[in-house]
Parts: sequence; structure tokens; C-alpha cells
Amino acid sequence: MNLYSYIFRRLLYVVPVLLGVCLIIFVIFNVVAPDPAFILLGRHATIEQIATLHRELGMDRPFIVQYIDIVKSAFTFDFGYSWSSKQQIWEMIKAGAGPSLTITLPLFILSNVLSISIALLVAFYRGKLIDKVVLLVSIAMMSIPSLAYILFGQWFFAAYLGWFEIAGYEPGFPNFIPYTLLPVLLYVAISWGPETRFYRSVILDEVYQDYVRTARAKGVSELSVMFKHVLKNAMIPILTQIILQIPFLILGLLLAESFFSIPGLGGIIIKAINTSDFPVIKAMTILSAIGFILFGVITDVLYTVVDPRMRLK
Amino acid sequence: MAEKILEVKDLVVEFKTDRGTIKAVNGVNFDVFKGKTVGIVGESGSGKSVSALAIMGLIPSPPGRVASGQILFNGKSLVNMEPSEMRKIRGNKIAMIFQEPMTSLNPVFTIGNQIEEVIELHQPQLSKKERTAKAVDMLRLVGIPSPESRVNEYPHQLSGGMRQRVMIAIALSCEPDILIADEPTTALDVTIQAQILELMKKLQKELGMGIILITHDLGVVAETCDSVAVMYCGQIVEAADVKTLFNHPRHPYTKGLMNSIPSFDSTSGRKKERLQTIEGMVPSLFDLPKGCNFQDRCSKVTEQCRGSHGEPTLRDLDSGHLAACFNPLN
Repeated sequence: MNLYSYIFRRLLYVVPVLLGVCLIIFVIFNVVAPDPAFILLGRHATIEQIATLHRELGMDRPFIVQYIDIVKSAFTFDFGYSWSSKQQIWEMIKAGAGPSLTITLPLFILSNVLSISIALLVAFYRGKLIDKVVLLVSIAMMSIPSLAYILFGQWFFAAYLGWFEIAGYEPGFPNFIPYTLLPVLLYVAISWGPETRFYRSVILDEVYQDYVRTARAKGVSELSVMFKHVLKNAMIPILTQIILQIPFLILGLLLAESFFSIPGLGGIIIKAINTSDFPVIKAMTILSAIGFILFGVITDVLYTVVDPRMRLK
Repeated sequence: MAEKILEVKDLVVEFKTDRGTIKAVNGVNFDVFKGKTVGIVGESGSGKSVSALAIMGLIPSPPGRVASGQILFNGKSLVNMEPSEMRKIRGNKIAMIFQEPMTSLNPVFTIGNQIEEVIELHQPQLSKKERTAKAVDMLRLVGIPSPESRVNEYPHQLSGGMRQRVMIAIALSCEPDILIADEPTTALDVTIQAQILELMKKLQKELGMGIILITHDLGVVAETCDSVAVMYCGQIVEAADVKTLFNHPRHPYTKGLMNSIPSFDSTSGRKKERLQTIEGMVPSLFDLPKGCNFQDRCSKVTEQCRGSHGEPTLRDLDSGHLAACFNPLN
């Protein structure tokens, strides 16, 4: 079986998963969540008003039709209009994706490069002082809540030292840089601890394997053992970790965007939750589910490239 | 007398642990001669693999280190050799194969790639084409069928016996002077075991290398070795040429090992006698007794063995037959 038919088959599996996800979303919004009439009309609405609203929202139709609506929106990206801003949701998402990416993309690259290279370094010097120091610092940094980083960063680096803008945003390169620099650096610091620890343990799992001893017995240098033999084997868990971060890149950073007043998708989600803007929440839920499923497929396909044991006969 | 290529003298290897420092290898002496096989026999933890790793310079450090003693390869000391110089010997002049053929090869590289790697390291003058050709030749030499296509396969596509053949091909591709085989057949089926041992013997004849064969299987020793050293608790307790040792073991431990091999009466096909075991347990390296390490398990034990005369040392009992015992068997 070649790669293309594998990808095709793997994509076929996506269909039932997506249908299931849509079913769960449907149940949450139509059974578990409160009647939108309470949210939109308040406590004193008459029965006629409620009935009219239900008709307007299409809630008087059979469940199966409403379910098919959700499934359709997952393919057409037509999520309807926001209740609070009355804008078309897909347009809102397109507008918010840009500002979110200006933070998440540099953050993604910076934090992964930094934590993987430091993890390789400390795995190389495992058990030595530098390894212990890095481990200690990363645990200390993990133990501080992310909110503390944001508040301290805004107060100390932006307000007190005046190195960065406290909050705000300006579209267009390079205008956004003064605004995005601080959140990017803070989130690199936030994610550095857990990521370095994860990559370190993944690499150390490989360092003690028998094939590493074989490589040394062949006279391979330590550097080549690390970068050729160990890294290629550690690529499998590393790839999974990296690729499954990508859906988050588009969704943006929930906390950071609202704290730094960045008009990204994270801010849109927070606002939608605060105002019970069901169509927006529903749209973002569907989109993140699609993101996870698709990048899961991409991970699986990349596995077969990296690991010959997973190559299909 | 064949040419002596490796000399291990009073080798001591220590490991630091949370419970204190232990001597995994404690004053070991043996020689390896060109074209000859020396067997090192012992139970798990007797220090045989650690001795081999010490020769390769692959003792994990920390926690381990060669505390004292000499390892002379063609007269040159391997202990405290510069790492870069040691790498030129490793895999080139002294090669090693391991007990675990299933996990000793790197799963994400083709076997050809892994053979070529060692050739590239030690024979950089060869071109890519010549290296590939040599890898195929090596696979043919170790008896892998259709080596031209096998060379592009990955380890998981091969059986355990085939993988051990690939390991041997890697080890022999630079025609080493010494091959260290650390329990090379323990993980393999008995029929495959015989094939691998035959292969090693045949290649030894062709290449004239010295072999250090580490095993706990006396049957393997009898079949392949010229001389034997029996290890117990990090020390050699008896050493002799293979015939002498099997016909006339002098140390009670060696005798005990031989009695614990199942034997069959060839005429009736039934077991001759009940299988004997060595009573008791190997003492912990943290808590070795005074005197002889084997005293608590020995039937011949006397007051002398309990420490009043110190530790028994290896002494020549009969023209090259060494044993470390106060009351050797006759």
C-alpha cells in the first residue's frame, strides 16, 4: 500500500469521528445548555416571544434536521451570525486569526526550538550539574501559575521598566511587534518548563537503549550518537507533541489575548463565553475539533515517514 | 605459542551507588591470543560483562570507573586513553556483539546503513559505492541470503538470528583483532545458537582474530573456547585450558557449575541422575564475607576459608591450571 492510499484511508476514518463530534456538540448545546430564549429575551418573556425566537433560531425543527445543520457547518464553515455582534461568524474568525497567529506562530517556533535544543543539551550531560540545574529551574518555572507571569510581566517589564507596550494592538507588520513581543516572551517562559522536561525525558528514554550502546561500540562519537541515532528515534514522540500544538496556534491564547487586548480568536472565545454567544462558541468548538482530527491524521502520516516499523506493507 | 594481543592485568572496576562503592570487577587477569578464543564463564552479576565493557572503554561513567589495573592492547594501554583515540580502536580493532540482538540494532536505519556507518568511520578512504558493496559482502559472509536486497531492509524485518548475524557483520566489517561476544547466543533458539557459534568459529579461522566469549553456558564454552576463566563475585576463581578445566575442575564452584548442567544417558535416553544445584545464593557485592567469597555455598569449607588466612588468591596448581581455593579438589 502506498502513501496516498494510506492517507485516503486515514481520511475516511475522519468522517465517523467528525459525525460523533458533531453529535456531542449537538447534545451539549440542545440538551445540556439552557434554552437560548432565557439568554436572549430575559426572564420576563412571553410564551409567544419564546415561540417566535425558537422559530427564528430553527429550534422548532426536528432534532435530526438541527443535527444535520451542525454537520453541514463543519464542512461549509457557515456558522451563522453572532448573537451579540450580529456579524457573520466566519468573517469574525478570519479577522481574528491574523492577530492570534502573530503571537502564536513566533511562540510556537521559539519555544519548541529552545526546549528541544536545551533538552538535547541536558540529555547529553545527563546526571551532571547543568542537567540538575535545568531540571530544578524548569520545575520551579512550571510551579508558577501562568497568570502570575502575565501580571508580573505587565507590571514589571511594561509598566515599571517601560520596555514593552502594556496592552493593545496595531495590525500590519512590523507595527504589531511592540505589542506582541511581551506576550510571546512570557509564554515562551510559561511553556519552557513542561516542554523541556517532556523532551528531556523522551530523549533520555532513547539514550539508554541497547542500540545506543551498539553505536558507541562501533566507535561513533558522542555527538553523532546524540544527533543521528538518538534524535531520529526520539522524533516520534517529539512530532506528536509538536503537531498537536498546531490547532492551538489558530485558536489563540485565551488568557493572554484578553489581558493584552489583542483582537485575536482567544479574545473572541472569551467574549463569547462571557456573553453566552452560543453560535460563536459552537463554531469555535467545531473548528478546534476539526483541527485536532486533521492534525492527528497528519501526525499519523508523518509517523510512517519517520519510523520504518510503521511503514505499511 | 600464539601472539598475545590483549593483556588484562589486575583490573578493578568500581561502581558508585547510593549504598556505597562496589567492586564489580576485582583484580581480574587474563590474556587473549591471536586466533584463540578465551571463555569467561559465570553467573549473572559475576562481573563478566563489566570486564568486557571495560576493555571497550564503555563503562557508564558516572557511576562506574576503572579504579586500577591495566588493559594492554598490543602493548598499548587502553585505560585512560584519549576518547578520540579510543574511538579509533572501538569497532575497528576491537569489536563487540551483544546479548540482545532484538534491540541492539537501531530500528530507524537500514541494516546496510548501519554496516556502512562503521566502515565509513574507520575506512574513510572508501567511496559510498565501495562501502555499499562491502556491506553486501559482509552480509554474504555472515550467511544472510540474498544480501543485495536485504541490505535495504530494516531490523524489524529480520528474525533474531538474522539480526545477530547483522551484528556480527557490523563487528567484523573492519576485520578486528579482537571480537568480544557478550552472551551472543543466549537470546537465540538452540539451533540458531549452534549456527551462530559455527559462524564465529569459521570467521575466526578466516580472519585470525582473538575472541573473548562471555557466557553462562558451559556447553557453549566446551564447544568453542581454547581456554576458560570462571568468574565469581568479580574475581576469577579458576582458569585453565578448556580440556583441563572440563576433565579436572579444581575449584568447588566450577565443579558445582558442571553438576548443574542437565545430562542425558545416551543409551536409555533417560536422565542419569537428579540435577544438582549450588546451594545458597551469590553474596551481595555490598556485603562480601571475609575470606573466600564462595564459603557459604561450598561443601569443602574449612576454618581457613572463613578469613583466618585472608582471601584465597589464584595460584598455579598444575602447569597453567589456576584456581583460587584453599582446598582445591583433586
